[in-house]
Formats: sequence, C-alpha cells, structure tokens
Amino acid sequence: MATTSVTWSWSAGVACIRLSGVPPEAEVQVRPRTAPLAGEFPPMAGHLIRHGLDVSFVPRYPFVDGTPYTVSVAGATAAVLVRPSSERTATTTVRTIRPTIGVVPRNLLRIYVTFSAPMSEGWAASCVRLADAAGGTMIGALLPTEHELWDAERRRLTVLLDPARIKRGLPAHLQAGYALRPGGPFRLVIDEGFQDARGLPLAAPAEHCYDVGADERRHVEPADWQLRAPPERTVEPLDVMFDRPLDHALLARCLRVVGPDGEPVAGHIAVGVGERSWRLEPFEAWRRGTHRLMVDPRLEDLAGNSLSRLFDRDLTCPEEAPRAVQPVAVAFRPSGH
Amino acid sequence: MDAYGLQMGNAEPGSAGPITFGPAGILFVADNTAAKIFAVDVADPGPESGSEPFDLDDVDTRLGSFLGCESGEIAIVDMAVHPLSHHVYLSVQRRRGEAGRAVLIRIDRLDGSIVDVPLANVPMAEATIADAPGPDDQRLDTTLPLGDEGEELTFGDRTIRILRRPIRTSTVTDMAYVDGHLLVAGLSNEEFSSKLRRLPFPFGPDIIDNGLEIFHVSHGKWETASPIRTFVPYNGGRSILASYTCTPLVHFDVDDLTAGTRAIGRTVAELGAANQPLDMVSFVQNGEEHLLVANTAHGLIKVARKDIDDQAPLTEPKAPVGVPRETTDLRGVTRLANMGEAFVLALQSDDEGRAHLRSLKTSSL
Repeated sequence: MATTSVTWSWSAGVACIRLSGVPPEAEVQVRPRTAPLAGEFPPMAGHLIRHGLDVSFVPRYPFVDGTPYTVSVAGATAAVLVRPSSERTATTTVRTIRPTIGVVPRNLLRIYVTFSAPMSEGWAASCVRLADAAGGTMIGALLPTEHELWDAERRRLTVLLDPARIKRGLPAHLQAGYALRPGGPFRLVIDEGFQDARGLPLAAPAEHCYDVGADERRHVEPADWQLRAPPERTVEPLDVMFDRPLDHALLARCLRVVGPDGEPVAGHIAVGVGERSWRLEPFEAWRRGTHRLMVDPRLEDLAGNSLSRLFDRDLTCPEEAPRAVQPVAVAFRPSGH
Repeated sequence: MDAYGLQMGNAEPGSAGPITFGPAGILFVADNTAAKIFAVDVADPGPESGSEPFDLDDVDTRLGSFLGCESGEIAIVDMAVHPLSHHVYLSVQRRRGEAGRAVLIRIDRLDGSIVDVPLANVPMAEATIADAPGPDDQRLDTTLPLGDEGEELTFGDRTIRILRRPIRTSTVTDMAYVDGHLLVAGLSNEEFSSKLRRLPFPFGPDIIDNGLEIFHVSHGKWETASPIRTFVPYNGGRSILASYTCTPLVHFDVDDLTAGTRAIGRTVAELGAANQPLDMVSFVQNGEEHLLVANTAHGLIKVARKDIDDQAPLTEPKAPVGVPRETTDLRGVTRLANMGEAFVLALQSDDEGRAHLRSLKTSSL
C-alpha cells in the first residue's frame, strides 16, 4: 500500500505530522530538510502514534515555524512539509536604555537595556552595538559574552563595555585605549532583529545617544550627597541628590531608610532623571526623631566605583585604597512644624 | 547515590549552562535561568572505555537533525566527557523563543549515536546560587508598578504588591569539582562582582555559598575586582589557572581560597588584546603536566606547569608576556575536555562554521 497523504495535524495540543497508508512495519522518520537524509544523521526525536491505518509522528521538541521537514517512509522521501509561519505581529519594544543621562564618563562600565516583554537569548552579540558619530560600529567596545547577563524574567539585559579596555595596565588598554573618546559622541544601538521569547523581532530598533566626559575614578561618597528632609507627620518625599549619576539597578536595592526605631520605612521608590537623585515617598507619615539612610557599600557609579573600592586602583596611591565594607549611614531628621 | 544526597526530582534547566562531572559519574548542570546548580545521576550506560580516539563530523548538523531545527539554531554551550565510559555530554540550547529548549545530549563514543538525557524524575540534588536578598534586604520598601505581578503583602493597614523575582542574578560561566567542593565562577548582572563560589558536595542544607573575592593585580601597579570567566584545576587540585573577563592567565593556590579573604592571583601570562580565553584543560605529556587554552584569537595555546610555577608575577605591560607557550595551529576550538589520559576532546568550528568533535592525542599536542 502506498502512502497516500502526509499532512500537518495535532496530537494532544502538539503539532504533529499525520501519514495515511503507511505499512505497519515501515519506518517513519522526520528530519529538518537541511540535514542530509541518508547516512548516520539522526532522525528527529519523537514517537509514533497509530490510529488504525494512519500514523502520527509527534516530535519531542516542537516543530519550528517556517522550517521545512522531510518525511521518509521505509527510507524513501514521502513528503516535504513546511511548518507554516505564524502571522503574529512584532510588538516588543525597547522600553528603557540606562543610564539615561546624556554625558557618561570615559570609563563607563555598564548599560542596561529593558524590553517590554521577555526576550530570547543568543542575540545580544549580533544585535547590540556601539556606533560612533559617523554611524560606524565601534568594534571591540563591548565585552563579547558567551553567557548573556539577564534578569530572571529575561527582560533586562546587562551590557558590559570591555573591562580590558578600561583597566589601566592591561595590553588591551595600552594598545587600543579606551573605547570611548572624550568629546566623541556615540550611540548604543539595538537592532530590530533582536528576537523576543516568541521568536519575533522587535517592533522597532532603538538607540540612545551619549556624550563622553572625563574619567570617574573616585569612591562613591554619601557625605557628598544632599538630603532634603521632609516635614515630620507628613508623607512628603525624602529626596537624595547625588554628586554624580549612579548605577540604576544598584540604586534599587542599595538604598533604604530606617526610622528612629531601627525599622525600615516602607514606601514608593523612584530614581530621578539621569540617575542623579533618589526619592522615597513613605506609606506612613514621617515620625519625629533621627532617621538614617542606609547605603550598601556595593553601590556603584557608572564606572563601577563603589563605596568600598575603585574599579581599578593605583596601588601606589593611598587615597585609592579599599574602604570598609559595612553599610554607611547618613542621618537626617524630618523637620518640625 | 544516597551517599551524595540525591533524591528523585526534576533537574531540567530553563536554559543551557556549563556542565562538569563530579564524583561517581554525577554531572553538575548549571541553570542560569533559575540560578541553580543541579547534581544529576545521568545513568551513563557504560561500558568503561579503552583509549581509542573519538571523532565526529558535523556535530551541530546532527544535533539540529535530532532536535528538529537548523544547525544555526543550535548553541553548544558546554561539553563534558564521562570519566569512565568517555561518552560525550553536551549542554545544548535549542534557540528560538517559545520553541527554545535546554537539552542535555549524550553522544555514544562507540557509534556516534545521539540521545537526549532525561532530566525529569531522576536522582538529583540542587543548590541555589542566586544572590538572594539577605535578611536585612527585604525590599519591603519597594513597590513595583507592574500590574498584577508579584505578591501582596500587608504592611500596617496597607497592602502593597512586591515582586520577589530576582532582577539581580549571577550567571555561571564555569565550574569544576575538586576534592569534595564544586568551584563556581560567575558574572553578576549588576555589580562588578568577583565571587568564586565554593560549594561543598554533597550540597549541605546550611551554608553552601562560600564566596571568595577575587582581585587581579596588573603589572604590580593596578588592582581590580575581577570576575573569573573560565578556569581549570591542576597540580592534583592544589592549583587553579584562571582567566578573567580581560584575558590574563592567573594562578591561584587552592589553599589560599578560603572564605572571607581577598584572593589575589599571580598573573602568569597575557594572551594579547582582543582575545578571550574560552576553555582550558590540563593533561600529562611525557610525565609532565601541561595546560591547554582554547581562545578566540589564536590556535590552542600550550603551557607547561613547571613554567607557571617558575613564572614571577608580570610587571611589564607588554604583550605577549609571561610564561613560555606554544601556539598550535588548531584554530576554532571552543570547548575542551579530557578523554582519559591519551586524548583531549575538542569541539572545533571550521572556516564554514560547521562544528566537529576531534580527539587530540596528548602525546603529540
């Protein structure tokens, strides 16, 4: 009996291939068409389900949209089926690129890209780049990563500039110098080919332009910040103004406020424009007495300098030595009426 | 497997990460989606291998055929060789969004056949390596305007919604098992962290994250906190050769890697600008231990252990500098694994981008 038809079908919600007229003992195999049919190349993993005279091939790993599959029966090609491409529309966008400030230090270490939906891995190397003013890709500026740095939800990608270009004393720095040049504007570009978790490209490319300023090689120093203390018995915000932009992600978890009783003050947190300020709007009215802004010593600026250490330090320079690793407290009192 | 605390459970990673063998044929599998490491009994079918080479052409096309996609949609993330049977284990990511899968593949050394290793309902143990919030970091002061995500908490007379899903994660870049401990190198997606974790195995119920701060001194003058990207134990597990995110090869004494200390490595070689080490193995040739370094810019680089031992810390910023080395003409090697004493197995890409498994004879490397 000859095979009469080979069609796409469904089995328990999984796309499968259904064949009719297959002899009971004939071997049915499926391969993506790019794989050679003959020889020792393995067939696609899956299992066969018989329905009377029909048989269904149910793959262990789902068929890929738009990919042609060769179906063979007893070693002979019975059909080539192309998995239909879905008609879904690209909707995912780049929501933010941080830092948001316009001028970054020449030794900028890190950029965060947040997408509107979970993303696929494996696209960062080809779809994220730095471009100079003329539009040319700045080759070697970003750290090539075998393992991309995502948050657990796969919506925020961490992009590192190559530390070897920033660290003083390394051949890459000495030979190629900083990737960024003062006065030389550049753009972080995310190409629309970056695929989201559904396998669809972005709805649009995205970019953020920066100017390059001087190096930043100082410890983060909370004593240099300005606090605008709120009035007591109100829910007005506490505002903290920094002396320089700080790392947005670390700001979200390295700053907290404790009240006179030592308990954390709960509220809404917001990072200000250009990552230069931080605001806490308490859920409950400020109490009288000394509050403390607790600063985790891991808080970094845009160049990777933290409270406890510089990104790279000159061992001959005493003021660049590491500092204590305990949290730093900045005291303030909500003002009286 | 009871001796190692394994119990039936699910060890399916959300994304393919590094793998390495531990004691008794237990495979460690890093899951960078869940920030976990699984220890899995892979039920290797054996038998114990002799000392024959194993080569397999077009391993990426074979994997694509088996997994039902084009070879370009396959990423071989890591490779390990079973210490007794010499069957080849590959940590494979089948890309493409919702159709994406992390798969553990076993290639039979005898006939080159491919199977996927079951990871559901298998003898396993797990350790969490997330930078989990500490008791003083409850983030009660944070609310996230993300619709109905997260969970509701009542605080005083208010109910707030917080998201406990970590946005701060640690991505495992390499692992190795040494004398009852799993060493884990990772990159943080936030601070420029330089932790080398040392997890006792069997995984303990109590402290399992014994993080070491690793620093790098460049030419005796500059010091940086430095994430380790890839490393290999050698000298009977007493030493580690590591490479950072910025290419220098650095030696550590394992005895110096104790918790709560700053570990500072001795830079023994630089491999030049715009070059990334990808993988390393140690092997013995004519009774002497050597290390083999796969890297992006050159062929495989071979370094003698005695030259590392003799190498003073580098003080001159010139490249190439440091230990004497031989650069072979074996290019395109991305992963290395010992296959008994006689061979090192290499995953090698050719000029057309096709990936092959090649046995390199240790006596002629």
